[in-house]
Amino acid sequence: MNGRASFARRGALVLALVPGMLLAIPRSTTATPAVESGALAHGGTYMIAVDAAAPVAAIDLWFRAPDDGYSGETPGLARIAATAAAAAKLASGKTLAETVTQAGGQLSIQVFPDLVTVGAIVPTLAARRVLASLTAAYFAPAIDAAALHAATSDATVIAVQQHYEGDVLVQDLLFSRLFASKPANEPPVPLAIDALSHVTLQEASAFAQRAFRASNAFLTVAGAVDPTILAAVTDGNGPAPAQAPIDAIPVSPLPAPTTQEGSGPAIGIAWIGPPISDERAATALDFVADYLFRERVGTVSAALDRSGTRIDLNGQFVTLHSPGVMLVTLEGTDDASAQTQVLRAVSALQQPMDPAAFAAAREAFLYHLDVDTQTPGEQADMLGWYAAEGAASYAPGGDEYERITRSLDPGYVAATVRRYLSNPTVVRIVVGSSSGGAS
Amino acid sequence: MISRALLLVAFALALPLPVWAQSGALVTHAAGVTLVSQSDSSAALVGVEFTIAAGLDRERLRQDGLAALVAQSVLETPSAGGVSLSDAIAAHGGSVAFTMEAHDVRFYVEALATDAPAVLALFERAAASPDFSAATVRAARDALMREIAGSQQEPLQVGIEMLDFAQANGGNSGLPLFGTPASLVQLAPADASAFYRTYYRRGGSSISAVGRVDALGARALESFATMLPVGATAAVKTVTTPLHGNGHELVARRSISAPWLVVRYGAPSLGNADYGPMLVLAAFLQRTLSDIGEIPGTITPTLASRAVGAEYNFDRVPGELVLYVDGAIDSDPNRTFGAALSVVNILSATRLQGSIAQFKTIAAGDFATRASTLEARAWLGGAFTRRTGSADYLRVTLRAIAATTPGDLQRVARRYLASPTIALVLPRTTTVQN
Repeated sequence: MNGRASFARRGALVLALVPGMLLAIPRSTTATPAVESGALAHGGTYMIAVDAAAPVAAIDLWFRAPDDGYSGETPGLARIAATAAAAAKLASGKTLAETVTQAGGQLSIQVFPDLVTVGAIVPTLAARRVLASLTAAYFAPAIDAAALHAATSDATVIAVQQHYEGDVLVQDLLFSRLFASKPANEPPVPLAIDALSHVTLQEASAFAQRAFRASNAFLTVAGAVDPTILAAVTDGNGPAPAQAPIDAIPVSPLPAPTTQEGSGPAIGIAWIGPPISDERAATALDFVADYLFRERVGTVSAALDRSGTRIDLNGQFVTLHSPGVMLVTLEGTDDASAQTQVLRAVSALQQPMDPAAFAAAREAFLYHLDVDTQTPGEQADMLGWYAAEGAASYAPGGDEYERITRSLDPGYVAATVRRYLSNPTVVRIVVGSSSGGAS
Repeated sequence: MISRALLLVAFALALPLPVWAQSGALVTHAAGVTLVSQSDSSAALVGVEFTIAAGLDRERLRQDGLAALVAQSVLETPSAGGVSLSDAIAAHGGSVAFTMEAHDVRFYVEALATDAPAVLALFERAAASPDFSAATVRAARDALMREIAGSQQEPLQVGIEMLDFAQANGGNSGLPLFGTPASLVQLAPADASAFYRTYYRRGGSSISAVGRVDALGARALESFATMLPVGATAAVKTVTTPLHGNGHELVARRSISAPWLVVRYGAPSLGNADYGPMLVLAAFLQRTLSDIGEIPGTITPTLASRAVGAEYNFDRVPGELVLYVDGAIDSDPNRTFGAALSVVNILSATRLQGSIAQFKTIAAGDFATRASTLEARAWLGGAFTRRTGSADYLRVTLRAIAATTPGDLQRVARRYLASPTIALVLPRTTTVQN
């Protein structure tokens, strides 16, 4: 779960990772907002985490949809369609983007291979109005040529930006090597901006009509709101099945390590992990990522900091419907010793940790979970991600996640590491022509 | 450790006072210490900020870095299990960090509610009786060295440190937050011990708690208030020669890929009647600068829009407004820098027309969004109590924004935006003329 922050950067904004979560049952050690969930009147599901002390409200819509369209042949289509819906004029005469901005809020659009999310963080007083606009824009999308033009421009900027985001490039490269088919093995926004200019109004509209349906939506709301806010959702299309989660097919066996040229040195390491349905194993790998790679305090992160090297380390387990992925990226180096340091640290966890050290690390992990889910934006984000991936009640911060975390023991974590983290794929990005290209 | 640049807060705009502007904060006093409590039963964590009048202005000029060395030594003090306080607290499910300021040092301790009593007890013991052995001070020095190395690669941080030094006229309150590698090696454990004994006192200190404060138990904050000895201290007066020159430009070179422009203007501090208008003005400048950097027509914010900004640091005395522009957003940084400065000049010289409601709304939304984390809420509660006597930062701020008129905005622009100090952080291969 921790990797979500970086994973989220595949879109535009870095989502504020967030706390709190979600279950209606009070937690044993904490008092995070209780979560109320149910069916929307006109299709779709909702989850609300009320925190009266929060100064803002966060509202997210999550949809299951392939990033390159239902034919799998239109790179960037989900991104363009989602942005166009936000740029289209609503009945109010304003676009969703204008409504959010003029309310003093922030709009974000994120696209992953299998998901699309649109979120707004707004002052509480504007929450009802923004929810009405958000659902009008996405439950009855009406994209016109002007909106498509704006969305294409927006996606083009993101495509260009990607060339300067080393960790995103490495993540996309790793996914392209881990998975055998679309959409998982291609970036949500293509690196080549040419492809974006070919998306037609008809394609964008057709995609929006199919993907952005109330019945395919997970609405998450967090912050100082009350459930009556749902009355603001007046659009929808009645009960209909949500799309099933989109799974990825791993390459087998994983490809051998490779070296490629790039604009900056970097190393990427990835392993295929458990599906979200294996909640205990997924939690164990969340724990491993936190223990080894959390910024500053992870054992590998701290060791790199102490060494004085200028390496940006990011390690996370990305919880997906099936399968999950453990990702580690090291920016600023192509030195094999840093790669070895990561792999040795992972290998060491194949043996059970000292019980006292494990207990301390697990308590620290529980704390980090709550740190990462303390704002309304983070809460709505986490609820939506886990619901869309098919396990809403398992979202970090909730009672179930804490119960599973407390059930972890050194032997189980070691067994999980042996099972999933023995066979990585590795990519090395080097600068200049001396490398001779891919090898 | 948290660098000051990361704590600069920009804010701006006006709305009717919403119901959520009621924080329910409780302000009391015990043993000469101001206590602020914002209990939030929905939170999972407890955060407690300890503010002590032991910041940069307690250093002599030749003691550059001593305040940070003492604070870091507290974090390195051997604690439960024989490990440092930082590691011991992490093992208990919490964290501890400090922020160095011109006048104060602020320690922020955070933990799971169930672990909070034990975690706070660890901090209380270390802060009341830190270890200044050679090994601990060496560890603290090493940690600061790493922090300095990192901050010197951040152009905004470099620019702000230059502007701070200029603002303080070379005095101690403008010294580098963590000293310099050269100054730190001159500081001995005895220096750290003496500084602690002299300046870690209750006078002028405050404690601000937020979240599941109930988990700490009754009268916990009152107990923390007696952690340090009684007594008050004063800043060390430093005698400096004023900086002379025709211009107000400072230049540094670092190993960066593009030049940065960092501009400082004077600004009202919290408690000043101009606080609200300056929030709105900061929102106006932030929006305008973003428009300069942004690619026209984009729907979602891009990297370009985040490469420019206006940050209003109202917790400082005097306050300051910092504008920054990353020259990498344009192939001609001169053009972008010129446009940014022109915006300010025009704003201060031209009569404003039209509604400012939009900027008031943005200012309010920005303030509320930034006040979402426990650490921000603890800091705001403490800062507002010290400067205004009220911990109800949302109510105070939203009222100040709502009351702002176009005339206020014009007046404040003219008063504060006339005389900037400019810092340029350049790639090593670039000349000032370029």
